[in-house]
Amino acid sequence: MSIVVKNLSHTYMEKSKIAVKAVDDVSLTVEPGEFLCIIGHTGSGKSTLIQHFNGLMQPTSGSVTVDGYDMADKKQRKLGRELVGMVFQYPEYQLFEETVYKDVAFGPTNMGLDAEAVKNAVFEAMERVGLAIDKFCEKSPFDLSGGEKRRAALAGIIAMQPKYLVLDEPMAGLDPMGRAEILGVLESLRREKNTAVIMISHSMDDIMRHATRVAVLEKGRLIRLGEPREIFKETKLIREMGLDIPQSAQIAELLRKKGVAVPPEVVAEDELVEFVLAAAGRNNGRING
Amino acid sequence: MIEIKNITYRYDAETDSEGPSPSAPAVDGLSLTINDGETVCIVGHNGSGKSTVAKHINGLLLPTEGDVIVDGMNTRDESSLLEIRKRVGMVFQNPDNQIVTTVVEEDVGFGPENLGVPSEAIWERVDEALELVGMTEYRKSAPHMLSGGQKQRIAIAGMLAMHPKMLVLDEATAMLDPAGRKEVLSIVRRLNKERGMTVIMITQYMEEASECDRMAVMSGGKLFMQGTPSEVFARGDELRSIGLDVPAAVRVCERLRAGGLDIPRLPVTVEEAAETICRLL
Repeated sequence: MSIVVKNLSHTYMEKSKIAVKAVDDVSLTVEPGEFLCIIGHTGSGKSTLIQHFNGLMQPTSGSVTVDGYDMADKKQRKLGRELVGMVFQYPEYQLFEETVYKDVAFGPTNMGLDAEAVKNAVFEAMERVGLAIDKFCEKSPFDLSGGEKRRAALAGIIAMQPKYLVLDEPMAGLDPMGRAEILGVLESLRREKNTAVIMISHSMDDIMRHATRVAVLEKGRLIRLGEPREIFKETKLIREMGLDIPQSAQIAELLRKKGVAVPPEVVAEDELVEFVLAAAGRNNGRING
Repeated sequence: MIEIKNITYRYDAETDSEGPSPSAPAVDGLSLTINDGETVCIVGHNGSGKSTVAKHINGLLLPTEGDVIVDGMNTRDESSLLEIRKRVGMVFQNPDNQIVTTVVEEDVGFGPENLGVPSEAIWERVDEALELVGMTEYRKSAPHMLSGGQKQRIAIAGMLAMHPKMLVLDEATAMLDPAGRKEVLSIVRRLNKERGMTVIMITQYMEEASECDRMAVMSGGKLFMQGTPSEVFARGDELRSIGLDVPAAVRVCERLRAGGLDIPRLPVTVEEAAETICRLL
C-alpha cells in the first residue's frame, strides 16, 4: 500500500491563453515509513504537486491513488483523504478554537470518532508534539509561543492519525530548537507508527540528516529522485537551480578543490567529521611513525 | 548612531496586548549601541524579543522604560519622529504586507511622495532605488506577479527611495527560498559596503549572521551575549542552551576539536572551515 502518482500533470487556467503547466508528467511512489523531501525553486510546482496527494487538486492528466483509492473518484477520494494529513505553510494561522484541546479535537471529531476515541487521539497527539496535557489543554492557542503554536497546529493533523503526513515547509520561521522539535516529532511518528513523511523544505542541512529520499522539481518536472547523498553530490546542478547545498557538502567540495582526496560519498556532517578524523589520524601516524 | 538605553517593553502596557504571557516583559533591560556603517545581526529564539527591539528603532514602539536615541533624537519626542523615520528604513518579514500599489515604480515612489519630495525628484529617487536593487526592468510590473525575493527587493527599494541612513530588516528573508534570500542579502551587503549604510538584521538563520560585523544574541528579552560572529560562535554550548545553534560549518569543526584535533580558533564560514581542515590534513 502506498501513494502512487502516475504521469501527473497539472495546468492552471488550462483553457486560457495564459495556461501554466505547474506540474509536468510526474511519476513517483511514496511508501509507508519513508521520509521523502521535495526540493525546488519557488514556482517549481512543489506545492501544486503535494495538493494532489489528498485530492485537494485534481490532475489535468495522469492519476493519484492512495492505498488503492483513486483520488479522482469522489467516493474513493473521501476514504483516501482520511489516510493523508496535510500541514500547510504557517499552519498556526489556522488555529481558531478557544482552547488547544478543542482545536486539536476538531479533525478527529469531524472524522466521526466518538468522544472517548477523540480524547485519546488528542492526548496522544499533544504528547507526541511535546505539549503537556495538563498545562496546555485549556489554554487559548493564541497565548502560546510561536513554536508551541506550530506544534499545536501539527497536533491537530496528527490526531487524525494519518498514514501519510504531508508538510509544506513546516520549519519555516522557527529557531534552531523549534526546528529540531518538529523534526523530532516527525522522526518519532516514522519510528513508532511507520508514518510516511512527505516534506517540502529549503533547509538542506536538515534534509541531509533526515530524508530517506529527495525529489527535485524544476519547472514542474521531476528531474531527480534518490537518496540525499546522491542528490547533493550534484552540487553544480543544485546550485544552478538556485538551491542551497548542505554546509558539510560545501566543505567537502572545497576540500576536493584544494586537492584533498575526499571520497564522493562524503556529503553529510557525520561522514565529513569521520573522514577528517580518520585522515588526520593517518597523517599523524605517518609523521610520528 | 543608535543608542538603545536600558529599555524594557511590555505589550500589555499598551492597549492592545499581544505578548506571549501578559506580565512578562518582551524586552527586559536591554542596552545596545549601533555605530554608523556597522552591520549588526540580532539573533534569538522565537519569542526572545528581537523583533520587538527592531520596532523600537524607528519609534514604531516606544519603550515602557528606558530610551532609544537615533542620531541624538529620542524616539519619545514626537517632533523628531518623522526625521527618525526618514533615517531608519524598515523591511518586514512578509513581502505581501508591504506593497501598497499595483505598479512597482509607484510602490517605490510612495514613500518619498509622502515625505513631500517634489515630483521630479521622486522619479530620480525611484530610478536610483530600482537600479540599486537590480529591479529596473520590472518598474512597470505588477508587484503581485513577482517572486517573494523580488517583492522584498521592491520593499527595500521603497525604503531606499526615502534616502535612509540605516536599514532595519526584521526577518526579511524568513519567508523566502534560498535564491530569494541570497538576492536580498547580497543587496544589503552591497548597500553597506558601497554606501556605508548601517544595517541591522534580525534573523533566525545563524548562517546569515556569519558575515556581519557584530552579533547581538537575545534570550528571554535580555541581551544574552554580543561580539563578532567568531566570538559568538565560539560559545556553541551557551547558544544551544538558549535554543540556538552554530552554523553547520562551525559545528563540524567543534566536533573535530572534540575528536582530538588541534583547532585553536573555530572558523565562521564554510570557506574558513575548509581552510582550517586543510591545514590539519
